[in-house]
Amino acid sequence: MTMINVKVAAIEQVTPLVKHFTFVKEDGSSLPAFSGGSHVVVSIDIGGRVHRNPYSLMGSPMENEAYHISVRRQENSRGGSVFMHENVTVGMPLKITYPMNLFSLAKKGRKHILIAGGIGITPFMSQIADLKRMGANYELHYAFRSPEHGAFAAQLKESCGDHLHCYIDSNATRLDLQALLSDQPLGTHVYVCGPSAMVVATLETARNLGWPENHIHSEQFLSPPIGEPFKIQLARSNVEIQVSAEMSMLEAIEAAGVEADFLCRGGVCGRCELDVLETDGALLHNDHFLTDSEKASCKKIMPCVSRAKGERLVLDL
Amino acid sequence: MERGYWIKSKPVYNALVWHEKATAHLVLAQNQGGLAVLKLFQQMQPQQPVTVIYAQHDTDYAKTLKKVVPDGLDVVSSEQELLVSLKNIMPSMRMGLRVYVAGSEGFIWSVAEVLKTFGVEEADIMKELTDTLARTIYCVHCKAITHNITTNIGKCSGCARMLFVRDHFSRHLGAYMGLMIDAESPGELPEIEEIYP
Repeated sequence: MTMINVKVAAIEQVTPLVKHFTFVKEDGSSLPAFSGGSHVVVSIDIGGRVHRNPYSLMGSPMENEAYHISVRRQENSRGGSVFMHENVTVGMPLKITYPMNLFSLAKKGRKHILIAGGIGITPFMSQIADLKRMGANYELHYAFRSPEHGAFAAQLKESCGDHLHCYIDSNATRLDLQALLSDQPLGTHVYVCGPSAMVVATLETARNLGWPENHIHSEQFLSPPIGEPFKIQLARSNVEIQVSAEMSMLEAIEAAGVEADFLCRGGVCGRCELDVLETDGALLHNDHFLTDSEKASCKKIMPCVSRAKGERLVLDL
Repeated sequence: MERGYWIKSKPVYNALVWHEKATAHLVLAQNQGGLAVLKLFQQMQPQQPVTVIYAQHDTDYAKTLKKVVPDGLDVVSSEQELLVSLKNIMPSMRMGLRVYVAGSEGFIWSVAEVLKTFGVEEADIMKELTDTLARTIYCVHCKAITHNITTNIGKCSGCARMLFVRDHFSRHLGAYMGLMIDAESPGELPEIEEIYP
C-alpha cells in the first residue's frame, strides 16, 4: 500500500487524555485533498512491531498544507495510543495512508444531526467545515464526561454558534435521543460517533422511530482486542503463523511477510476480509462489517480485529 | 434479449408490506393500485396514523377502501389531483413517515418526483407496479419525455424520431432512455410490437 511520508509539525495537549497532532508532508509539498469524515491510518513502530491505527482527520478539507488528528490515551490497549502520547515528538517522521472516507455526509440530506461522544467528535470537525461551506442546516450534539474533557468545545462554540449543543455528564445534562429524533423534518440524516453504548442507542432509537436505514450513519473504529494466542495457516502462501495475545491476525500476517489487503484496520471497511477454508474451533468475530448470518456461517473473517479459538484455521491467502 | 442480462438501473418493484417501525404511514395509489392498498390492510391495521390518497378513473376500489381504511382516506379522480393533495399534506410530515406507492410506473415516478422536493428519497419509498407495464421514455436526442409507450419502438413526442426503448432507467427523470432506431439507415424500422402492455 502506498504511504505518505509526513513529519509531526506540532503537538498540543487538548484535554488531560487527548493530544492533537499536526502532520505536514516531509518534503514540504501539499497533502492530498480529502472530504469531511475521512480518516488516515498512522503507522508507528513500537520496538520493531508496526502498529497501524486509524484516526479521523479533523482539519478543514479546504486546507491541504497539514493534516490534524487527535488521539485519546487508552490505558488498557495494546500501546498504540500510549506510544503516540509518550514517544511521538515534534519533528518525528511517520508514515500514513492516503485519506479514506467511510463516514461521508449524505449530499442529498436536507438537515444533518451530528451526535458525538467524547473523542468521537473528531470526524465531525472536518464534516462541520464541509457543512458550513455548503450552508447546510445542521446541529451538533456533543456529549462528554466533564468540562475539562470537552476537547474542542470552545473552538466548536466559536465556529458553530447556536448549532452546537453540549451535554456534560458531571453537570447531569443528558442528550434525550428520543426527543431529538422524534421531531425532525423529512430529509434529515443522523450521524453518530462515540462510545459503543451511544452508537447503539442512536441507531436503535432512529430505527424504532422509522428512520430509513440510509438516513442513519455511524462510525466506530475498533482496536484489535487482546486475546488468547492461536495459530493460522495461509493456504496459498503455504505458511503457518502464530498470532500472539497482543497482536491482531492482520499484524501477524504482515509480520510474517505476507502481503494482505487492508484499509481502515478497525473492523469497518471490509477490505481485509478473508475466506475461511477450514476451521475446527470458534471464530471470534469483532468487526462491524460482516452480517450476523455471515458471522455465523464461519466462511469469512476480518483479520484486522477478529480472532479465533482452536487448533486449526486455514485462510485463503 | 440475452439470457441472464439485466441492467441494474431498471427498477425492481415489490408487493407493498407495512414497515413495522414508523411514526406515520402515507399510502398513494392509482387505479389497480387500490387492490395493493386493500392487500396492505389485510396484513394489519397499523398502530400509527395512516393517510391514504387514492386516484381512480377506471376501477372502483374506493367503496371497499372506505370500509377498510379507518380514517385518513382521500379519494380523488385523477393523478393530477392526487399530486396536489400530496403537496398539501407533505409540509406537516416528519422523519419517521413511511411512504408506499402503488400504480403504473409513470404514476410511481411522478409521485417520487414530488416526494423528492420534500426530502423523501426514492430509495425510501416502497413501490408496487400495477395496471400496466407502459414506459415513460426520454429521448436522448431532443430530451423530450413521452409517456405510455407500450411497444418496443415508440415515436418521440418532441422530435418525432422513432426511438428504441431501452431498459436503461433514470431515477432522476423517472424514464427509460430512448435511442433513434433508424439513425444508420433512415426509414428502415424493425417490426413494432407491443411488449409493455
